[in-house]
Amino acid sequence: MSQPPTTRRRVDPRAERAARTVLAGSRPRLLRQPAANAVVNERRRDPRAVHEAALVQRQPRPRYDWTRDTASAGTPSAAGVFVAAVPAIPLQVIAEPAYLVLAMLDRPGGEVSEHDRQVIAAARLLADGGSDGGGSGNGGGAVVTVSTGSGEALAEAGSDRHVALPDGWADDYVPERRAAATLALMTALSPRHVLFPDSADGGDVARRVAATAGERLFAGVQGLGPDRATRQSAGGSRETGHRPTTLMTVAADAFAPLDGVRHEARPLDLATPLVAGEEILPRLGGARRLAVDPDALSLSETDFILSAGNGVTDWRSFAELGEALGATRAGSRVVCDAGHLPRDRQVGASGTVVGARCYLAFGIAGAPQHLQGITGVRHVIAVNTDLHAEMIKRADLSIVADAQAVMPALIRLIRERRHA
Amino acid sequence: MPDAAMPDAAMIDWAMLDVAVLLSIGRHPVSGRARRAATDAQALEMALALRPRRLTAIHAGPVADGEALRAYLGMGLERLTLLVLPEGGDPVEPLVAHLRRLAPSLILTGRQAEDGEGSGMLPYLIARGLDAAVVPDVVRIGPADAPDTKPGSANLVQALPRGQRRALIVTGPFVATIHPSAPPARPSAFGPARRGVIEPVAAQAAADLFLSDCEHRPWRPKPKLMRVKRGGSALDRLKAATESKSGKGQLLVNPTAEAGALAIYDSLVEQGILP
Ligand SMILES: Cc1cc2nc3c(=O)[nH]c(=O)nc-3n(C[C@H](O)[C@H](O)[C@H](O)COP(=O)(O)OP(=O)(O)OC[C@H]3O[C@@H](n4cnc5c(N)ncnc54)[C@H](O)[C@@H]3O)c2cc1C
Repeated sequence: MSQPPTTRRRVDPRAERAARTVLAGSRPRLLRQPAANAVVNERRRDPRAVHEAALVQRQPRPRYDWTRDTASAGTPSAAGVFVAAVPAIPLQVIAEPAYLVLAMLDRPGGEVSEHDRQVIAAARLLADGGSDGGGSGNGGGAVVTVSTGSGEALAEAGSDRHVALPDGWADDYVPERRAAATLALMTALSPRHVLFPDSADGGDVARRVAATAGERLFAGVQGLGPDRATRQSAGGSRETGHRPTTLMTVAADAFAPLDGVRHEARPLDLATPLVAGEEILPRLGGARRLAVDPDALSLSETDFILSAGNGVTDWRSFAELGEALGATRAGSRVVCDAGHLPRDRQVGASGTVVGARCYLAFGIAGAPQHLQGITGVRHVIAVNTDLHAEMIKRADLSIVADAQAVMPALIRLIRERRHA
Repeated sequence: MPDAAMPDAAMIDWAMLDVAVLLSIGRHPVSGRARRAATDAQALEMALALRPRRLTAIHAGPVADGEALRAYLGMGLERLTLLVLPEGGDPVEPLVAHLRRLAPSLILTGRQAEDGEGSGMLPYLIARGLDAAVVPDVVRIGPADAPDTKPGSANLVQALPRGQRRALIVTGPFVATIHPSAPPARPSAFGPARRGVIEPVAAQAAADLFLSDCEHRPWRPKPKLMRVKRGGSALDRLKAATESKSGKGQLLVNPTAEAGALAIYDSLVEQGILP
């Protein structure tokens, strides 16, 4: 059944009769012959066409996806080839917002973090459920995100407007400047709510703003509705509820980030935050990052892990490589059992679940217990002699080679580049 | 610190060292018993280690649960000022008034109270009241070592997420909140805890209207946030839920060691891990 079946022309007697009717005289007359192009009734349903449109896969067995809209139908997928349905997400425009909800984002290292997305999701709850409108998607409020960098990446996170702070602010740590910019924005836009992530930096700026503005901060919001916000108090043993206040910080992992929405993220050109921020005379200054010993960090904290498995025998090179890369050393269970690394350096289900950005694995087979420990890692590089190892499948860059040869070569390369 | 060695010259120079520590009463997360609050004890530890010319320890609150404060005295503190407030009184105003009279160059506090509202606002409000700077999450305090800095400025080290550290210079008096990864507090000894003196000082405090406006109930754990991908077809969701994420990556089969090393190096540079 590789050809779509030819369908008979569907007869719609009512439409045909309507087409033959002439209303010119005193009473309606029917023509003998049907009009040349009989109108197609839009409301008639053609079950075969609907089936055809919902078919996403023909082999090995037919699969239907009934959520696909019939508008995008008419292009049946090629037989046997899976074609993912990509429904276009409709753009939500809030042209005349009744009120504004400000979301002050961290964007550590220029990227929109998971916590930032959660803050926007919380802001959407307040914007969409407001008392001025009602109904989902258009409660009357608009979410204004404020961060360094452009707002393009924030459209899919649910931002209606975006205020870009100067790019130079991203790198240096001057919380007083950010607080002044926020206060200036609050005067310029008079938002109904201002939300911050309850992170180290976001929570700090929020408290500075609250202290200067004399507003009450509702810190670490865990639950949010249009007329009630809740947070943990008394060391986490009590829940405190109140009407949503003007200033709130949003706890991490309390709200699911939005998915499948598209908003405008239209840039707002405002000079006020910049001016206010530059006017301030900061009392904190000379901020610089300090070098930390990577091996002193716990595995769950570190950003870059160099990991060894049973395929590593040259432990001197492994230690040297860790030093050259500035990576935290870790290993699989076999390695820790054998005593090559201490127990707290074990990655996996019975060790540590790591959240590093980059994981460089030498001679690890990739047992399920080990892979469970690295599910959250963004970039995995694996070196293994076995082409069919699970680790090779998981990795973003896989190198089928002897670990004992690659490690010294990598050390040499790093030293060369450093001196060059 | 009665019999400590003389502090070195740089230490005395720096900021004339007049330190105030704000101590709250903590609550054990499991038993609910009153105890010394963890980061407040670390703040006191840091204050003692600085060997200041004058060290003032202050607690503001109702006199009823003053006994838990003796755990701080057991760390080697001789006296502690207790600003006696009525039940439910806002401690910020009396603390600001008291500190204004003392005018310390450095105020140390914990990060967040273990009991009560626990919003972490107090250090900021006090800094606002005294017109001082605030530095959050401090793990080390020392005199400024750069020669070009103004007198009265201090070098701080701040803890960042993911175990990172940041050095800072602060000018003028400041309020510092202590991060849990600061040096651990020394244990509290029983004898000094009994001998230490708690000096009650009567203070006026307004009731906190916002807190009485809130509703309180016991906290019930919420379901953990699952990162499920919504939308897409049923097939997509099934795949997202069942398949482990496999990197659709590059594969190099049997390259020379140098070629493999170069590929790894380039990939690390691309990820921003290596410069
Ligand atoms: C209840 C339970 C809990 C467990 N929890 C954990 C856990 O938390 N963490 C964990 O890691 N394991 C855990 N394990 C163990 C796990 O099942 C595996 O046994 C273990 O992860 C295997 O470690 P490995 O990949 O280093 O060694 P192996 O399975 O021996 O794999 C070695 C790999 O190195 C490759 N290799 C060999 N020589 C070279 C060379 N010269 N160059 C490059 N590659 C080479 C081989 O091809 C092979 O793929 C657990 C097991 C159980 C039963």
